Amino acid sequence: MASVNPFMFKPGNSNLHCLDTRCKFFLVCMMSLSILNAGFLACFICLVILFFFLKQIRLPIWHTLKHLKYFIMFLLIIILARGLSSPGDPLFSLYGTPISADGLYQGILVALRFFLVMVTGLLFSATTRSASLKNAAQWYLKPIPFVPEKRVAVMISLSLGFLPLILQQAQETRNAINSRCGNLEKNPIKRFARLTLPLLKKTFLSADHLILAMEARCYSEERTDPEFESSGRETIFIMAGLGFWLCSLFH
Amino acid sequence: MAIPLLEIKHLTHSYPDGNGGIFDISFSVSRGDFIILAGQNGSGKTTLIRHLNGLLRPSKGEIRLHGKNILKDLTLTRKKIGMVFQDADTQIVGDTVFDEVAFGPENLNLERSLINRKVIQILEQLGLIGLKHRNPATLSGGEKRKLAIAGILAMDPEIIIFDEPFANLDYPGTRSLLANICDLNQKGQTIIMATHDVETLLESASRLLIMSQGQLVEDGSIASLLGKLESRGIKEPCTCKITASPPPWQA
Repeated sequence: MASVNPFMFKPGNSNLHCLDTRCKFFLVCMMSLSILNAGFLACFICLVILFFFLKQIRLPIWHTLKHLKYFIMFLLIIILARGLSSPGDPLFSLYGTPISADGLYQGILVALRFFLVMVTGLLFSATTRSASLKNAAQWYLKPIPFVPEKRVAVMISLSLGFLPLILQQAQETRNAINSRCGNLEKNPIKRFARLTLPLLKKTFLSADHLILAMEARCYSEERTDPEFESSGRETIFIMAGLGFWLCSLFH
Repeated sequence: MAIPLLEIKHLTHSYPDGNGGIFDISFSVSRGDFIILAGQNGSGKTTLIRHLNGLLRPSKGEIRLHGKNILKDLTLTRKKIGMVFQDADTQIVGDTVFDEVAFGPENLNLERSLINRKVIQILEQLGLIGLKHRNPATLSGGEKRKLAIAGILAMDPEIIIFDEPFANLDYPGTRSLLANICDLNQKGQTIIMATHDVETLLESASRLLIMSQGQLVEDGSIASLLGKLESRGIKEPCTCKITASPPPWQA
């Protein structure tokens, strides 16, 4: 039995699960726009709201953070780089290089915004079935002329659906390498090549198999679309999203 | 003379690199048959069964379903001839068990109410109804195989082709899956199964085809071909060596 990574759809009955996917799409856009302008206070409020929803969909927070460890490391590098490269009063020095208070402050803010966008995306992918996602993307793209909305929608849903599979395969490949003491290799380029080459091969093979399986079951663009499911709370969520965005604009 | 359900005539397929392929294969399948397609690795079993579903096109020869060339209407072919792949993970495209079974009927553009009825009925038939909201990635190997079968059954096929269905399954999983397959065959479903494991199917299958180096070298009843298995690189069931009548595998 495979372990479920946090980006995979997790069935449930939470507010986010029951929300119409078109509304969730809109909320993700509003949240992302708000986060772009957000200061520390707004980011903190966002963080509280997002963690509340993480708790509601029963995604274990510690397990989720563990899965995001490389992303968190990337954020720490951003904070450090900002601290080292921005001018201002030095707060402390790292091996003789001064780290400015302004840079550190800016770095933490940027990292926090990245983190919030990531958690917003995670909440969306964990509570949205790829079939509903495809349907919503199709609905939004339909009025745009010269855009093959069905094809684009399928590509979006397949790419998102494939992401957890790639992460799972990356973990399997890493385990296979480490089981033969591959973790003792110090050269990061060699380590990277050892992981990515088999992973790419596996990913292409899986994509081939997926295409065959879909073709074997008569896949075509002209198919019965899933129905939109509404919880009746969409208006409240949309108003809240809009309100949050306006607050972040005027703050 | 009655037209056979499926007729394979002088089927030949060669790969561009000259390796593998199948050569001049002819046989026919009647309604209700349970056929084992056995052979060593690389004998051409998978290449042959991928032709039966129209996933590969022959270099020479043809396949006729109810007397009509299957390539004339591929959608009808894939609806009538379902295929269960060896690796169930790569066949699964839905986010939930319910979505996965609904994928085929959705491709056939059936009405939503009909799809929902069909999916529920098939999940009940295969004992998967309790798992309908589960993420397929969290199912056991045996449950995934059953789900792959359910996905095919939802399209009302006349023939189901299995590629190594018992590979990597434990004993209870194999027994349970075999019981489901035998049940389908007893209800009139035609089954073609590519496998190395003849022993598991001794009591259930009605006919044995043996392939070697891309050619169909034997075609007959299981009893008449048991003695020839090992000379063709297939393990003779040990129960045949120690007892006159082997105990059944079916639960």
